[in-house]
Amino acid sequence: MKGKIRNIVKKRTLLFMCIPAIVFFFIFSYLPMPGVWLAFVRFNYRDGIFGSPFVGLENFRFLILSRQLWNLTRNTILYNVAFIITGNILQITVAILFNEMAGRRLRIYKKVSQSIMFLPYFISAVVIGVFAYNLLNVQTGFINSILKQAGRSTVNFYSIPGLWPFIIVLAYLWQSTGYGSIVYFAAIMGIDSEMMEASEIDGANAFQRIRYIILPCLKPTFVILLLFALGGIMKGNFGLFYNLTGANNMALFETTDIIETFVFRSLNVNFNFSMGSAVGLYQSLFGFVLVMTVNTIVKKIEPDYSLF
Amino acid sequence: MKSNLTRYLTLFLALVLTLTLAACGKTGDTGGPSKEGDKAGDIDISEFVTISHLSLGDKPSNGQYEAVKAEWDKYLKEKLNCALEVQYIGWTDYMTQYNLLLATGEGLDLINTASDWLEMWPNAQRGAFLELNDLLPKYAPITWETVPESSWAEVTFKGDIIAIPEDMYSQWINHGYMYRGDWAREIGITKPIRSWEEFQVYLQGVKDLYGDQGVIPFDIAGASNMKQLYDGWTISKSSLICIDPVPDGLAFGKSDDEWWEVRSRYYPLDDGTDLLLDFAKEMKEWGDAGYWREDVLNNTADSWVQFKAGLNGTRQHHTQTYVYAYKELEREIPGADLQFFPWCEESKNLTKMSITHGATAVGAKCKNPERALMVYDLIRNDETMYKLFNWGLEGVQYVINDKGQRDLPEGYITDQHSFSSNFWGGRMDKFELKYPNATMVDNWEEIYNNFESYAKPYRYGRFVFDKSPVESELAALSDVVNRHLPAICVGKAGDPVAAVEAFRRELKMAGYDKVLEEVQRQLTEFKNSL
Repeated sequence: MKGKIRNIVKKRTLLFMCIPAIVFFFIFSYLPMPGVWLAFVRFNYRDGIFGSPFVGLENFRFLILSRQLWNLTRNTILYNVAFIITGNILQITVAILFNEMAGRRLRIYKKVSQSIMFLPYFISAVVIGVFAYNLLNVQTGFINSILKQAGRSTVNFYSIPGLWPFIIVLAYLWQSTGYGSIVYFAAIMGIDSEMMEASEIDGANAFQRIRYIILPCLKPTFVILLLFALGGIMKGNFGLFYNLTGANNMALFETTDIIETFVFRSLNVNFNFSMGSAVGLYQSLFGFVLVMTVNTIVKKIEPDYSLF
Repeated sequence: MKSNLTRYLTLFLALVLTLTLAACGKTGDTGGPSKEGDKAGDIDISEFVTISHLSLGDKPSNGQYEAVKAEWDKYLKEKLNCALEVQYIGWTDYMTQYNLLLATGEGLDLINTASDWLEMWPNAQRGAFLELNDLLPKYAPITWETVPESSWAEVTFKGDIIAIPEDMYSQWINHGYMYRGDWAREIGITKPIRSWEEFQVYLQGVKDLYGDQGVIPFDIAGASNMKQLYDGWTISKSSLICIDPVPDGLAFGKSDDEWWEVRSRYYPLDDGTDLLLDFAKEMKEWGDAGYWREDVLNNTADSWVQFKAGLNGTRQHHTQTYVYAYKELEREIPGADLQFFPWCEESKNLTKMSITHGATAVGAKCKNPERALMVYDLIRNDETMYKLFNWGLEGVQYVINDKGQRDLPEGYITDQHSFSSNFWGGRMDKFELKYPNATMVDNWEEIYNNFESYAKPYRYGRFVFDKSPVESELAALSDVVNRHLPAICVGKAGDPVAAVEAFRRELKMAGYDKVLEEVQRQLTEFKNSL
């Protein structure tokens, strides 16, 4: 006990710096937790969350009734897996490339390109949807206009479901690579420079340096980011999917329908908080179990890399 | 380098967090009480209050709302020692926003609601509205006296009056196609279009005549507009009547004579007519003929804007919109001569408006229901207040011309001068017809009288559908309908036979039959209770 207090006093500055984050998570993540009860009641405004009648698992039933659950879950997870894998590979690559851009003359180029890559992160999905439509639509789209000029036949992108996994992943990468690479870039910056110098003296070339020093040093960062991402693997990026593919383009649903867009379609007319919460709970529970499992495995292999 | 980066990152994060927290702490200002001790009769109105009115529609961004509000606030201050503000809910996702606002209920006084399109009954069930029985006679005496017993019955939920109906205002909101009269004559259509087959001739004609110039015969966009085509087909080709309280067009009454018999428009009818399949085939033909864009499902163009630019040949909306659209279009394209084909013409399948297509309720958490009702009584019955709240300022938004009509002032520019409070819960014929609108199409009376001559009474205004026994099924069905129907409606679902079959199979799997049974059970109960 005494030791603990001494510890707190000793690390007071660090702890103080943590306070905003602790307050944030307490207010937005822990305080609303009792609200999951909403998923088990037939909610009405007057009785409130805890006064409304309990209905057990009734609110989960519409998920199963639609017989889409499997397809939706599969789409959502596969997209997220694709995002995680391609995203991380690209982010690491970009971060390493930036790192290799040493020297004074490249500095401006490096800063400018970094900023440009970062920008799409701030663009809303609605605008991305408009970009995509103006690129891809049949009548006036950029790509089809070029095809027409070249005397080729046009392509109706909005009726070919097979193309959309690529388009969506591309849009995602375009939007998130700049932002994600910053994290890895910071991690590379943190690598002990003595190691780099030692490798140089030993005559390692750039590729060997990347292969034997940088990549191994990025492993803990990668594992932690991966664990974070896994927690949200059942959660789709509603804005991106909804705006890119359109709300009702049935022709594409086979490959683009995710849990979020399904929920929107089902509950947009039948306004129902409880069913919405039920879906949220389903997604969170799945993510929770996955994170716990993977974390345990990571802990077995390399205790230092695990989250907790 | 490293320590610098960390420091900046920490600083940035701290900043973001403080800002987030600060944003939460923002509090709205509350109007302080006024010193004046006004009294209206024996009602204490000494405290100055601000009453809000929840309206559907986009807030005027041209400053006219503020200008008109200042004027009515002056009037209200004097009359009732209060101010009135309009809280607008924009059209984007209005249903979600509306229900969310009602769910919290904070700061809502007067609320625009409707049984057929704004979930009046479900919200009454959820307890969003205040019971008005005891308040009305005292605080809205004129309204209380003038609205007949039978109309109050239409807004009574479990013995309590929960809203005030818009029962003294005539309007028609039956949908149909608006098309250009000048183009129709060019194509050789001399008589008004009265069927889908004739309309197809028009669409093909527009395509042939102006297709090369970039005109789209029917530039439709948005899923709800697409689904509405099937509503039109149902009206035109059958005697079915929509049971509005059931969402997604899932349940219809068989006909006016047997309105208590539940039928589905997604299944073949008793006489073997396969409405959906016929429709799907027809629309496939229209889609393949190129009457709308090829990637119509992702189209976001505004069909009226396109129409006014001369790039679109069809607008789908209701009579009320048409009567005002005529002259609006004439200003943009002189001689365009907008015509209207109401879907009900083909079969004379038309019901009268429900008097709860517009209604005003009071929020359950309203702090000043007395004053709110007094304001409502004034808007509805006092000519000065009525004109201010509905029409705006005389000389800016309207003038009364020498024929006694309400007209646009000289130099009126829509973008600069338009104002609307969208008060749709108590408009009155006694004021509207006293100064008939000069911006309406000239033959509006003829159109209204024609509808009046064959319209049947509306049967489902008081039918409260209790969704709770089939809530899961309704959610699942909503997904099925919204996934399949829009594409079928624009002929983009592939082979129509296969598409309809797949749609029906999924409807069945999602528990459609159970829902139909439940609707039938409740409707029989409702009929027996009359």
